[in-house]
Amino acid sequence: MEGMEKWTNQLQQWLYQVEHWVHQTPASSLYVAIGVIFFTPLILLLISLFRRTKSNTIVLAGLTGSGKTTLFYQLRDGSPHLGTATSMEPNEGSFMLHSEFSKRGKIKPVHVVDVPGHSRLRPNLDKYLPQTAGLIFVVDAVEFLPNCRATAEYLYDILAKASLVKRKIHVLIVCNKTDKVTAHTKEFIRKQLEKEMDKLRASRTAISDADIANEFTLGVTGEAFTFSQCHNKVTIAEASGLTGDIAQIEQFIREHVKP
Amino acid sequence: MLEQLLIFTRGGLILWTCKELGNALKGSPIDTLIRSCLLEERSGDASYNYDAPGVAYTLKWNFHNELGLIFVAVYQRILHLLYVDDLLSMVKREFSQMYDPKRTVYNDFDDVFRQLRKEAEARAEDMKRSKQAVKPVSNLSRKQLSAAAQKAGSEDGIKQKGGASGKDGGDGDFVKGRKLENGYSNGIGIEESHAPGVVKNKENGSSENGAFDVNKIQKLRSKGAKKSDTTSKAPKAEPKKKAIKKNRVWDDSPRESKLDFTDPVDERGDENITVMADQGESMMDREEIVSSESEAEEDEEAEKDNKVNAKKKGWFSSMFQSIAGKANLEKSDLEPALKALKDRLMTKNVAEEIAEKLCESVAASLEGKKQASFTRLSSTVQTAMEEALVRILTPRRSIDILRDVHVAKEQGKPYVVVFVGVNGVGKSTNLAKVAYWLLQHNVSVMMAACDTFRSGAVEQLRTHARRLQIPIFEKGYEKDPAIVAKEAIQEATRNGSDVVLVDTAGRMQDNEPLMRALSKLINLNSPDLVLFVGEALVGNDAVDQLSKFNQKLADLSTSSNTRLIDGILLTKFDTIDDKVGAALSMVYISGAPVMFVGCGQSYTDLKKLNVKVIVKTLLK
Repeated sequence: MEGMEKWTNQLQQWLYQVEHWVHQTPASSLYVAIGVIFFTPLILLLISLFRRTKSNTIVLAGLTGSGKTTLFYQLRDGSPHLGTATSMEPNEGSFMLHSEFSKRGKIKPVHVVDVPGHSRLRPNLDKYLPQTAGLIFVVDAVEFLPNCRATAEYLYDILAKASLVKRKIHVLIVCNKTDKVTAHTKEFIRKQLEKEMDKLRASRTAISDADIANEFTLGVTGEAFTFSQCHNKVTIAEASGLTGDIAQIEQFIREHVKP
Repeated sequence: MLEQLLIFTRGGLILWTCKELGNALKGSPIDTLIRSCLLEERSGDASYNYDAPGVAYTLKWNFHNELGLIFVAVYQRILHLLYVDDLLSMVKREFSQMYDPKRTVYNDFDDVFRQLRKEAEARAEDMKRSKQAVKPVSNLSRKQLSAAAQKAGSEDGIKQKGGASGKDGGDGDFVKGRKLENGYSNGIGIEESHAPGVVKNKENGSSENGAFDVNKIQKLRSKGAKKSDTTSKAPKAEPKKKAIKKNRVWDDSPRESKLDFTDPVDERGDENITVMADQGESMMDREEIVSSESEAEEDEEAEKDNKVNAKKKGWFSSMFQSIAGKANLEKSDLEPALKALKDRLMTKNVAEEIAEKLCESVAASLEGKKQASFTRLSSTVQTAMEEALVRILTPRRSIDILRDVHVAKEQGKPYVVVFVGVNGVGKSTNLAKVAYWLLQHNVSVMMAACDTFRSGAVEQLRTHARRLQIPIFEKGYEKDPAIVAKEAIQEATRNGSDVVLVDTAGRMQDNEPLMRALSKLINLNSPDLVLFVGEALVGNDAVDQLSKFNQKLADLSTSSNTRLIDGILLTKFDTIDDKVGAALSMVYISGAPVMFVGCGQSYTDLKKLNVKVIVKTLLK
């Protein structure tokens, strides 16, 4: 009981001392002290928020049947397992690339999203575009010519989206299934795509703005369309999902998601 | 024998296939199943038939919605395997126990599957045997029944003729009644020798026969009465024909001398017709202003009503569940919510069977799923239905007609569009609207008047052509439409028109000769676009119209690639207010996208279908 009284007495003394000190110090320095205490955590929060905008998402898009799901599982596990069927939902995963499993050190995991290519499921792509750091557009190099128009239309729609152009996101066009003998070369595919997109550009600009939801028009009027005219960088690579020849894709991913 | 059984995720990775049934599947039945059935919201169907050169498979499937797995069994169609459904549900149960999202290899499932298959086959065998035991008894009994009925029938027949020839009503009845009783007793006498369980069926059968005979008697009696009536009616009709119909005058207003306001036009002169230069922008090019705020408010009000209407008994439990999140959704839980949704769809003029199939499909995709916390059951179902509707109404292929026109232009041939539909839906009117829109985009158009049946059809198109100042190809009436169309296309190639719009006569979907004529027109000219014109006022008949049109076009086509309906033009949209269900029924049943919507009678009243607005209106 006496101990308690002693403690309470001491507490009261300290309080009295603190009050005395507070009254002594000038008001302005007090306010500055309080301000600093409040604002530093706020500023730290804001800084950390800004830092986080550098995302680690890579989106795989392309027509149905071009091999996106196979590539997804190659990147993740190093093998396409028993094969794939038409995807009805996006495949998402945050993982370290399979080839980098053996590397030492802390490598940042990559968030890869495989968006279904079926035309009825296209709206899924819009969900993931705002947070993407890089987009991989997969093209079937074997069945390229029958689907050339549809491929060009999809690619045109993607390249004209505002969220892509404003943030200058790098697009990598991958010619998949190069392990097959009848696969076309990436140069051929690039030329064909540029020709198709040029024609698309002519017909899309002929329609008034409300008709198509393209927010930007591509290319330079008067010149033939080439990928170098796009505001964001567009490159072409080759790969084969089934055999695991995906070195160029992994290079692209590493460029954009710094380890 | 099963051809193959696959298990794969909704994301597309195949997790397990049966290695014993090593036959590789010919063609790509799984991909076709996904594209034409599961993504088309037909997952409520029992099975799917796949035909490819050389094979005919039937596919059956099962979902595990919580884990996102799909189980598909493929077998030859000629073998009617009964144990497939059983096997699929057993496989689903066993596999979900050993499923792990991180695992991708499931080799240990092979043994389990072998066992399950043996069990299922054994069960099917037992069922078959027990069915066969019941069959022979019923076969014999049926033969006896038909023999007895024939005897009784023939006896009655003879006696009926005797009765009708001249006897009084009362006596005739009494005699016939007794004869029927004899017929009954005869039947029953024969039956008593059989097992008692089967007698009931036969009694019913014989009583039906007896009832049928009574009806026959009544018909014969009425026939006799009718003959006397018609003779008296005939003399009354004649004096009526002589009276001429007088023109009705309503008030005492002076009679109008001339009611015909058509301008006097001769074949060549067009000075009297005002040229339709520009009526302004077509609504196709104007963006639709969607007032989203007012609709959100209405949604909230509707939800409040729903909350009030919910049963008070289950209020506390449902609140608790909505916060905690129930374990798994069962079909019985989904039923009331789905029924309410189905009724709501039907009040919006969606055809009944379409609403039914849609609800089944949504149920199939939600069954077994874990309900997220803080969500009510009705909102889960509503979101699922909304997604399904958006998926159906989103076009499967590009509806960019201008692009197709440019492609055809480069190839040097005209782009041919054929307008088909039943009578009175607005084909000619909307053809003129489409021509106006194309003209606004600097495409040269030519009309072809292949409606050679209806009086005034050619003049109607001629008036439109004159107002729009575009060439029209016509050959008058009573000509073969297919030949007229062919010549029109040749003329278009010659004078360099980009697009040819072909107008056909309206025809009912079950009129065989007219459908044949339409099929001939399409086969002969192979148009680039077959546009089905349907009115938004149609109800359940939309399903019948579209399916019969498609069927007839497929059956009667001679060439190898059958042309079906490529697009839909929805007309009279301004008359339906918010009952927009016809759009959904038509798109669901045919798979063709809605390319244009006609919403008025002037040239600018043509717009595109706004999928989000339609879905919102349907679920309001």
